[in-house]
Amino acid sequence: MAHQAHAYHMVDPSPWPLTGAIAALLMTSGLAVWFHQHSMILMAIGTVLMLLTMYQWWRDIVREGTFQGHHTPPVQKGLRYGMILFITSEVFFFLGFFWAFYHASLAPTPELGGCWPPTGIFTLDPLEVPLLNTAVLLASGVTVTWAHHSMMGGDRKQAIQSLTMTIVLGFYFTVLQAMEYVDAPFTIGDGVYGATFFVATGFHGLHVMIGSIFLAVCLLRQIKHHFTSGHHFGFEAAAWYWHFVDVVWLFLYVSIYWWGS
Amino acid sequence: MALGRLSQALLKSSLTQSRRQLSATADQGHADATKLWKRLTYLVAFPAVAVCMLNMYLKMQHHAAHYVQPEFIPYSHLRIRTKRFPWGDGSKSLFHNSKLNALPGGYEGVEGDE
Repeated sequence: MAHQAHAYHMVDPSPWPLTGAIAALLMTSGLAVWFHQHSMILMAIGTVLMLLTMYQWWRDIVREGTFQGHHTPPVQKGLRYGMILFITSEVFFFLGFFWAFYHASLAPTPELGGCWPPTGIFTLDPLEVPLLNTAVLLASGVTVTWAHHSMMGGDRKQAIQSLTMTIVLGFYFTVLQAMEYVDAPFTIGDGVYGATFFVATGFHGLHVMIGSIFLAVCLLRQIKHHFTSGHHFGFEAAAWYWHFVDVVWLFLYVSIYWWGS
Repeated sequence: MALGRLSQALLKSSLTQSRRQLSATADQGHADATKLWKRLTYLVAFPAVAVCMLNMYLKMQHHAAHYVQPEFIPYSHLRIRTKRFPWGDGSKSLFHNSKLNALPGGYEGVEGDE
């Protein structure tokens, strides 16, 4: 009977890369159609296709790794490299928005009143909700570390408890930030201040939501006994992503909320 | 070189770590770390969040009592509407708040025809 004489994973053919690429095409062109022709249908189809792709592709990876044993140590090493490279690319993504912010704020143009914050902009007090948000995310970094050590020590109950707390804190951050958005005295249309503020914090908020979902999937898998004390890379990847989200917030807080106020 | 060390540290799977550490003392190591982070959670992290929540609550009460709507000055560098928003009548942002966000012509309800 034939079996592989190496430790690597030769992945079976799969339709999800193709459906994912089609989803990306439909979402981006759909966005343009929505802006110019006021129809949301293309964007909606693209979004549905993206969600279906994500669900099925990651479901397949869980099957291959957890149930079929394909994630040997060398394969896991490759997955680690992959996650590190992905997070690095996200760092560069945010770097662009910080560049825009500092470009606009270090040398404010005469049109803004030659000052930062621009004339007529009433900034949010960094010691109110933004400070609470900072405490919430830092606390979630502590709880996710608690969860990791619990998992490594085989303590199932504590791992579930602390991971749940992490997700609740992430959710709390999202709710607080949404309330801030509604209660802000400025909007995205308020010149370069509004644009840099809402695009940078908006993409960050999106990443908080994505990270929370990633952690929630890990919680579900932990409850279903997918993870062992020695092999739980899915959770580690989620924790790395979560720490990245926390660090981006710290930069946002110091740059935009604090220095920029 | 530091980058190599960093990636090495990240790449060391917990599998290889725990293989070396499958002794009672090392399991104790994990249990100790778990206890440490549990204590940090309840004794440092959660109290810090609670203090910030209290601070926020007190400040918001103060604001509610003393709020004055800023005077509307039709600056040309604010309330930019080069292109309409793709929802509603195109003049309100996604998180529009009529009490706090003026439209290009002024606060809502103050001008005659909005």
